[in-house]
Amino acid sequence: MAYFLEQLINGISQGAIYALFAIGFALIVGVVGLPTFTHGEVIMIGAFGVYYCTSLVSGNLLLNILFCFVVTGLMGVLIHKICYERFENAPHYIPLVCTIGVSILVKNLAQIFFGSETKTMPPLIKPGFFELGHIRISNVQLTVLGVVIALSIVLTLFLYKTKYGRILRAVSQDKKAAALVGINVQRATLLGNVIGCGIGGIGGMLYAIYYSTFSPTMGLGVAMKAFASTVLGGMTDISLSAIGGIAIGILENLGIMLFSSSLRDLIAYLFLILVLLFLPYGLRLKGGRNR
Amino acid sequence: MTTKWNQTMDRIRQWCVRYRTPLILLLLVALICFPFVVQDNYWRGVTTKIILYVLIVSSMNVINGYSGQFTVMQAGFVGVGAYTTALLMTQGGVSFWPSLIASGVLASLLALFVGIITRKMSGLYLAMVTLGVAEIVRIILLNWTSVTNGPLGVKGIPAPKIFGYSLGSSHAMYFLILILTVLMIFCTHRVIHSKIGRAWISIRENEHAAASLGIPTARYKTINLMYGAFWAGLAGAFMAVYYRYIDSTMFGLDENFNILLMMIVGGMGTLAGPVAGAVVVNLISEVFRFAAEYRQVLYAIVIIAMMWFRPQGLIGSLEGGYAIKWRRKRKGVFR
Repeated sequence: MAYFLEQLINGISQGAIYALFAIGFALIVGVVGLPTFTHGEVIMIGAFGVYYCTSLVSGNLLLNILFCFVVTGLMGVLIHKICYERFENAPHYIPLVCTIGVSILVKNLAQIFFGSETKTMPPLIKPGFFELGHIRISNVQLTVLGVVIALSIVLTLFLYKTKYGRILRAVSQDKKAAALVGINVQRATLLGNVIGCGIGGIGGMLYAIYYSTFSPTMGLGVAMKAFASTVLGGMTDISLSAIGGIAIGILENLGIMLFSSSLRDLIAYLFLILVLLFLPYGLRLKGGRNR
Repeated sequence: MTTKWNQTMDRIRQWCVRYRTPLILLLLVALICFPFVVQDNYWRGVTTKIILYVLIVSSMNVINGYSGQFTVMQAGFVGVGAYTTALLMTQGGVSFWPSLIASGVLASLLALFVGIITRKMSGLYLAMVTLGVAEIVRIILLNWTSVTNGPLGVKGIPAPKIFGYSLGSSHAMYFLILILTVLMIFCTHRVIHSKIGRAWISIRENEHAAASLGIPTARYKTINLMYGAFWAGLAGAFMAVYYRYIDSTMFGLDENFNILLMMIVGGMGTLAGPVAGAVVVNLISEVFRFAAEYRQVLYAIVIIAMMWFRPQGLIGSLEGGYAIKWRRKRKGVFR
């Protein structure tokens, strides 16, 4: 039983990281109207950001978060300029292929500049654990959960209480209608990209802290987790995507109690396919646009 | 500058269309003479690889270019084909030709399965699901150690034999792969101009209109997937006997994207597009071999530049649905 609960907590904290990936992904998909294949590379850059910031500047958690957010946010600007700005009305496959191109570009530049070997993260959080009955929760897990919960609260306040949040939600619902009421859709897309990439970058940072090993080629694997999580919310609903991420984290950790751990990546893909088969609109109450 | 370049490309394309038959004959003669003229093993290997990619990319073009289903799992089909042949030949002791057929059939059975589960999906959801299925295939190939030998891959795949003669030499493999590729392009040409092909194209242009004309779209889309997967499976079988060694990393996500990008560089929806794409992309990566790790960076820049300045691909069909819609929208006239 204790083992089960520990696996559950592992699952929740990994799921929280996947949830951050998924939130960033869903934000971008919402404002752009298309999935992006660069999200894995954004996450990877976030992981490298915390590595270099910790080893070169300081180990302050808040500073690291800010640094990762800024770096990956700038990457969001770049992605917007390259992949989306010119292709607002173009057929869908063009920006999609552009994001694949940017993803290859970033991955290989990262391999050249950072080296292609697997990096080990210097300890940012003091090792140790917190005991709750028979269950141990490590400091790293507590940090991850704390950061994710704090970020979710900030993001919710931003999306529902500020003008820009309302703009983002409007663009996410219907681009044409948003343009009709005087919203600058291009700028909203840029903003959504920056925030989505920034959140993805913080997710990458937490990934680096949690697993403490990462490499420039990790992008595609984590991006597929983000995809799989977002289908639960029809690819654009942020809170349902977060739930999807946590669900995948828990399922993976319970899954490896049953099968071998080499099959753990299978679970995200099975989740993706099963959700799309039986809940094509995700868990949303109203059927959305069929993309 | 962009428009000028585009006009030049269009003029080259029109010229190619006008002198189609002599050009194809010339290309065929050149390809047949090639191994006798060029004795260099390295370039013969490169050419064989390019022809193999032409086959794979053409099979993907049948799916993505002609019926407009945005799938990203051709490497999965190739992987199924390659592993079928490799395992049947090394462990089952079956000869090459039956296992070749088995490769194609198994790949199209996988496509049938994909077609059934995705029959109500379109667009980007389809892309996601096919990507997921391709990864599941790869993970199974990697982890089903008792059958597929896991991460070590399958070694020592024997050469194909015909009437007791071994066809293992690089000349023989070159011609086998060339024959198969020419056969595939010829068959696809025939199919595209038949009732089935016209149904595929009508589905690409407008699925609802096609359904309203009485075309069973779900069935034709599944047939289309299976047809493309069949040739991809055959390509996989040849890949297994040509490289003599396969492992699951050869069929990963990167390879899926690589095939997709070759198709898009060449241009979707024409028979010549995939040929151009596979040749150009592989030649770029061979010519810039000296640039070592910067090669992939260059490749990515080529892809992005392609999308910026010529999204329909090198010789993509301007008459095709994608391009024409975009051109009209850019002029400010919505369909």
